[in-house]
Amino acid sequence: MTRDIIIAGGGRIGFQAAELLAARDENVTIIEEDKDRITEIADAWIATVIQADASDPDILEQAGIKYVDTIAALTELTGLNLAVCLLATQLADGIRTVARVDRETDGAYDRFVDAVVYPEEAGARVVANQTTGREVQTLAAVTGNIEILEIRVPKGAPAAGRTLAEVSFPAGTLVISGEDGSQILKPETTLTPGSQYVVAVEPDVVDEVLQLMHG
Amino acid sequence: MSGHDQREPEAELGLLDATMIGMGAMIGAGIFVLTGLAADISGPAALLVFMLNGVVTAFTGLSYAELASAIPKSGGGYAFVREIFDDFGSFIMGWMLWFAYMIAGALYALGFAPNFLELLHVYGVVAPPDQVGAVILPLLGVGVPAKFVLAFVAVAGLVALNAASTAASGSAETVFTIIKVSILVAFVAFGFLSAGGGGETSFTFQNFDPLFPEGSGAFSILPAMGLTFIAFEGYDLITTVTEEVENPRENIPKAIFASLAATVVVYLLVVTVAIGTLGAEELAAAGEAGIAAAATSFMPTGLPVIQNGGALIVFGAVFSTITALNAVVIASSRVAFSMGREGQLLQSIGQIHHRFGTPFVAVLLSAVVMLGSVVLPTQSAGNMSSLFFLLSFIIVNVAVIRLRRERPNMNRPYKIPYYPIPPILAIALNGILAVVLIGFLIQTDMLALLLSAGWLAAGVVMYVLLNKYRARATTGEGTESTTDQPAAGGAEED
Repeated sequence: MTRDIIIAGGGRIGFQAAELLAARDENVTIIEEDKDRITEIADAWIATVIQADASDPDILEQAGIKYVDTIAALTELTGLNLAVCLLATQLADGIRTVARVDRETDGAYDRFVDAVVYPEEAGARVVANQTTGREVQTLAAVTGNIEILEIRVPKGAPAAGRTLAEVSFPAGTLVISGEDGSQILKPETTLTPGSQYVVAVEPDVVDEVLQLMHG
Repeated sequence: MSGHDQREPEAELGLLDATMIGMGAMIGAGIFVLTGLAADISGPAALLVFMLNGVVTAFTGLSYAELASAIPKSGGGYAFVREIFDDFGSFIMGWMLWFAYMIAGALYALGFAPNFLELLHVYGVVAPPDQVGAVILPLLGVGVPAKFVLAFVAVAGLVALNAASTAASGSAETVFTIIKVSILVAFVAFGFLSAGGGGETSFTFQNFDPLFPEGSGAFSILPAMGLTFIAFEGYDLITTVTEEVENPRENIPKAIFASLAATVVVYLLVVTVAIGTLGAEELAAAGEAGIAAAATSFMPTGLPVIQNGGALIVFGAVFSTITALNAVVIASSRVAFSMGREGQLLQSIGQIHHRFGTPFVAVLLSAVVMLGSVVLPTQSAGNMSSLFFLLSFIIVNVAVIRLRRERPNMNRPYKIPYYPIPPILAIALNGILAVVLIGFLIQTDMLALLLSAGWLAAGVVMYVLLNKYRARATTGEGTESTTDQPAAGGAEED
């Protein structure tokens, strides 16, 4: 089933995150103030956009805060992101909150938000990989456009309980390893319900692969 | 990354393709199948019927344009309503829209059958349609009219096709639509050329006098509008492929308006010619094959290859009904699939087949209702699908107003001009037509009314049962989330 996600801040990080989530067939709503950014998001056809300031409780309600599963505050301002997450926790019980920060936080915010992301650090790691050459690379930098996903196959998914040979995956899919991660899958391997599998997928077919493996 | 301008690299449908998808879905069966029936109810005023329906539909078209430009979802009307209505409201919308498409499928299949028999007859393969005997089913040993057998086979064939393969739509649709429109243009051209020919069925404006049938008068156009409303259903299908359209925020509204405008023009010309040549009475007598009958009366004969010019029009009718049938087989299964994905129908309905990659269960379920419905009289099928489209279009217009009120800050690349007049007018006009149609059904077609009420009642029962079933599943497992809220449906199946 699709999840509903609010992204506060449709800048570069928010936009890219929305793009990846939309490719996974999630329902994304972006809150953004800047008119030019909004035009760009609307052109990309990835999310409903609310044109306003995300720290306004009325705006969060317009975005459907009471009904969404997750809110990710991804503006450039750490303080604003934290404020949005705290507001969200007040407005909606049990919502998952993700805040973007601009410095190493060492767990300082863990009591207030469910997850902290520090995109500059992730970006810096890619830079380090590229600068030092090709011998040691983190995964994110190796794969380029391809997404390496770990997918849990729930009971009742179309592919659950079937062998790899039985399922016709779209071109651009490679199921790599599964269960305990110690072996490469063979065509006769059965996709056991409840187990996790590592899958390499081209961006175009992410939603279809998720529909097959995740239902 | 592959740049920011487009989400999917395969975005490839231009404004023309999108317009053709809308026109292709509209200029399908409605004009071929229902013109005769409309003439039966309101005589030469059938012309007014089609014109006014175009106007009424245009208001809802504005609402579709605003919603499609603001909500990047490919699920069509159901996805938009899901964005703002609560659980039950969006369920009943999906439930009605699903039914409307399925019954439309039965209607197109029923329109296909007599036209196909007519085509075979033109080439002397079978006797005239009304003289074709029953087909004896080998196992049951009972006779079934050939018409039903043909309609049944058409539905079953297209369902099998769509269950087993995700056939390319889009560009092929453009070619189909151009063929359909060209055939109708030929019909119109030869129809007008017959004017002054002095023949019994030469085009003459005397056939429009008196405009309204004796006895029932001007009000007779209202039930006829209700019946033929379905002829303008189809532009909404543009919003089910938005993801594949380039620059959708501008092109979708344009495609909706362009396809509606072009379709109205084509319809008016075709109906003018049909009445002007054959006359309303004979048109009504020909029923589902009205346009084909009109064509046979004035198209030139002795042409190379096709011999009889009328056969071209009959072929157009066969081709149009079958492509429109294909479109609604896809559309109906898409609605059911979206509902399944949103957790509003059983989970398996929202899943793609592990082998074929198609929404298999959704296609098969839709097929069951469609196949069951081909035993209905054509008029009942037209009445029912029109009624359900009217009702669901009312909900779409309410959704526009609610979204404006509850989410004033939502980015709307296309805004309805003179808001709120168009959506309010659309609600009022669609409401009037729905009420008139229900009144008409009470007098003439209780079967259609009872079946409609039955479907709605079944929906309510289904909704209650599904929630009970899910509540039990939650307490049993304790982990599975049942969050089910008004947020848009990510209904894409590629």
